[in-house]
Amino acid sequence: MANTETIDLINDKSALMRRHVIEMGYRAGGRGAHFGPALSSIEIVASLFFGVMSHDPKNPTMATRDRFVQSKGHACLALYSALGEAGYITQEQMATFKADGSFLAGHPTRNPQYGIEVSSGTLGNGFAVACGMAKAAKIKGEDHKVFCLVGDGECNEGIIWEAAMNAVKYELDNLIAIIDRNFVQLAGTTKDIMDVDVEALWRAAGWDVLVLEDGNDAAGLLNALGQMKESGNGKPHVIIANTTKGKGISFMEGSLNWHARPMNKDQYDQAIAELENAKTT
Amino acid sequence: MNKAALDKLQEWSEKGHRSVQADTLLMLAAEHPEVVALSADLTPTARLVEFKETYPDRFFDVGIAEQNLIDFSAGLALEGLRPFAVGLAAMVPMRPAEQMRAAVGYMKANVTVIGIEAGVRFGPLGNTHYAMDDIAVVRAIPNFTVIAPSDPLSTHKALYACIEHEGPVYIRLTGGPGYPVMYPEDFDFQIGKAIDYRPGSDIAFVSSGSLLADAVGAADILEGKGISTRVVDMHTVKPLDTEMLDKVFAENRLVVTVEEHSPFGGLGGAVAEYKAGFADAPKQIIASLGDKFQKLGDHKFLMKENGLTAPDLAALAETNL
Repeated sequence: MANTETIDLINDKSALMRRHVIEMGYRAGGRGAHFGPALSSIEIVASLFFGVMSHDPKNPTMATRDRFVQSKGHACLALYSALGEAGYITQEQMATFKADGSFLAGHPTRNPQYGIEVSSGTLGNGFAVACGMAKAAKIKGEDHKVFCLVGDGECNEGIIWEAAMNAVKYELDNLIAIIDRNFVQLAGTTKDIMDVDVEALWRAAGWDVLVLEDGNDAAGLLNALGQMKESGNGKPHVIIANTTKGKGISFMEGSLNWHARPMNKDQYDQAIAELENAKTT
Repeated sequence: MNKAALDKLQEWSEKGHRSVQADTLLMLAAEHPEVVALSADLTPTARLVEFKETYPDRFFDVGIAEQNLIDFSAGLALEGLRPFAVGLAAMVPMRPAEQMRAAVGYMKANVTVIGIEAGVRFGPLGNTHYAMDDIAVVRAIPNFTVIAPSDPLSTHKALYACIEHEGPVYIRLTGGPGYPVMYPEDFDFQIGKAIDYRPGSDIAFVSSGSLLADAVGAADILEGKGISTRVVDMHTVKPLDTEMLDKVFAENRLVVTVEEHSPFGGLGGAVAEYKAGFADAPKQIIASLGDKFQKLGDHKFLMKENGLTAPDLAALAETNL
């Protein structure tokens, strides 16, 4: 079981990361940001970077590091905020999000020096690449794990299932996928766009499946991720983490309007006030 | 140079490019532990059964899933392995074009994609199995090198060049059984360095792939008529050897590009794009498969239909000189 100290750390980091998401996204001005899908996955990414993964920001390419692949690349602000909090990138660099010439684009671009393992943005590919990375670790006899964050809408993509079948064939039990099940995709709810039983699909593909009723709960995430990191049962692992789109900002939570858009000053002020308020309560 | 390759030239010529690439991958795997091979349910067709049996832990069949063939290869490459992903040229660059762009080209992954049976070699199987657009698809992806070798030894040497090359490569293979031997002895093969195959001052055939033999045949016919004809083996379509083209533009009066591909986006297109920067370059004719789906027929029939036999090429060149 995760200890209280780690749970508190993840919650503290999550609060700081939410603040970064709002700040970076607001500064992008009219270019906007994918606020909703970043905020739903904050606790997942925080749990990985500050609780579960072995990594060293001072030695970002060390061979033994666990790999994090953000396949749902549009939620890059969750990754960038974790990289900022971990010390891979500076506050000044974070402030360049989506700016002309910046290396922090609206979808991640591979840059191992700054902790970005894989370019993503065209959905499904990051996951399939992560499967190749996990196989490479097995071929090379390396013990590190590959963690991959996948969107629930992203599971509409055919490549997800090509790769999911292949991961079972090659017994990639060093691969842990986390589905950010926030129930909203670009044009509507997942129920309206493509109403499928995500859990049943992953089970049918042969994966070791765990459903987390609250994917924004640090304790549950730490326990699930820790358990799967240690499990070598011959099957690739997937955690279906039920989250809240836009988690932490009242007017974004569960909203169909905050997948991706610019934020105005009033919205920014309200979001910051809510985050400040959450800190004191 | 691997002497075993020279000893195999006759056999490779008889069997065609599938055997050349499969045997060469075995040789590469024996020398380089980082080499792995992949196919998408094409193991026997790609003659990779021996590879699979010799290196069961370094051969992966991802099932009928070309997109995953490419993404999985990219993941392996990012972690330091050297994947060679083999597929039908008709399926592989087009179906997973987006994976080749996002996962391979964009991340400069050291993946070599081998497209077998390129052009219209699959004759009677029909147009879904023809690769007339594969060069165009891959050429447009930054960081990709595109190679179309002309004969058994150049195919072998191209694959060996890939292992020394940093970045993604697409190799399209055309010559089937009866693959003409254009290089009977060892020669210098460098990616991006065309070969001035034979000299000539009037016409220059600039060829890619196994049609080099037909371009040479056409040059023989023209020489018989007193027309001095150069032949260039432009085995690397991207990056183009522009130094060689500068020589051709300066020394020849007519350029005929020759390829088993669409006239758009292949060698002919690439040469025309480069030539656009010259006010006084010679005229160029693009000998190709044309902008059309093909009639059903075997390879010989389709070459004749498309004017890609030696006599057709000679006549085309002479008419335009």
